[in-house]
Amino acid sequence: MSALSIEFAGCRYRFAGLNPEQADLARSRFEALLCRDDARPDVQVDVHYSPNPAGFMRRPVGPVEYRTAVEHSEDSIAVAGIGFRARVDRAPLRAQMQTCLSDEWFLGAFENLFRVVASYRLFGEGALVLHSAAFTDGTRGFLFCGRSGAGKSTLCGLAAELELGILSDELNAVTPSDGSFELRAMPFAGDFGGAPRPHPPYPLTGLLGLSHSAAPLVHGCSKAEGVSRIVASCPYINADPLLVDELTGRAAMLVERVPLRVLSFAKDTRFWRILDHEYRSPHATLSR
Amino acid sequence: MSTEAPTQRYRVDPHARFRVMDDEGIFVLQDAGEVLVVNEVGAFIVEQLKAERSLDEVVTGITERYAVEAERARSDTTALLDDLLRAGAITRS
Repeated sequence: MSALSIEFAGCRYRFAGLNPEQADLARSRFEALLCRDDARPDVQVDVHYSPNPAGFMRRPVGPVEYRTAVEHSEDSIAVAGIGFRARVDRAPLRAQMQTCLSDEWFLGAFENLFRVVASYRLFGEGALVLHSAAFTDGTRGFLFCGRSGAGKSTLCGLAAELELGILSDELNAVTPSDGSFELRAMPFAGDFGGAPRPHPPYPLTGLLGLSHSAAPLVHGCSKAEGVSRIVASCPYINADPLLVDELTGRAAMLVERVPLRVLSFAKDTRFWRILDHEYRSPHATLSR
Repeated sequence: MSTEAPTQRYRVDPHARFRVMDDEGIFVLQDAGEVLVVNEVGAFIVEQLKAERSLDEVVTGITERYAVEAERARSDTTALLDDLLRAGAITRS
């Protein structure tokens, strides 16, 4: 059995109990974020391999999208998906994973649990983890929250055409920093794809929701709508009865500092001229 | 539209959280991870429900606070309550 440690957004996650095939798969995917395995991790995940698939969610036949099942209780979170189940202890944050997978399906299970564990770890550190697309022009960070179908991957594709730096088209974290907020990439990708790699934090310059229109436009929205869009975009935590009030409070603080706007865009790169202009000056204001 | 008894009372569903923010209201529906926003009047109505006011009392409260006829207030209120019931944001007491 072997172990590996992965570090991003200032947190170190150690996965132990991996068999050689599982370890190779995880190493190849997260190669750029691997760190020395001898330091104390922030979160430990123990993997237990059991080749008998009985008792696990079966593999589907053909391509399918499914949601990881998550159940919250007072002291732990139960997670289950294709070929695995896990228990995540709240305090100290630690996970036990049982899986019957050690082929390429294992990586999907590994990432699905990793998303949950990382979301809880970062929330515990004061961050919000959002279903979102994010990119940077090198100095400013832009985050676009929205669920599946909102246009996150499309926007990332368009941003890549403009040679903007894509952080993730699936999950990104917003962390408080000296009275403002920083944008941090998480090593998970949606349809846009891309291998995880280290990113520095970027100042959160633009916080936006997404909608579709024929011509690009940025418009404001009420604080309540801003908070609702953020809370709706925070997976796992927004369904956790012990944390949802804290989440809503943090979302309100965020939109107080960085008002949420809505970007309406078509499938072309014209949106960037609007964004670049609207957020060019740190003192720029938008009509609400 | 439902035909609720004038004395019917409602409460925020135990699996939902409600918060007023700059006059508007936000429901977080934990089971679904969904969020609903209601406008100022909607937020007022939900606050009345939380204070255990009946449907009739809520309608009276609206006519006292806003320039609206009782009939219109009742139909708009019951329409909103229907929506919130369907969404799982409130339940009948």
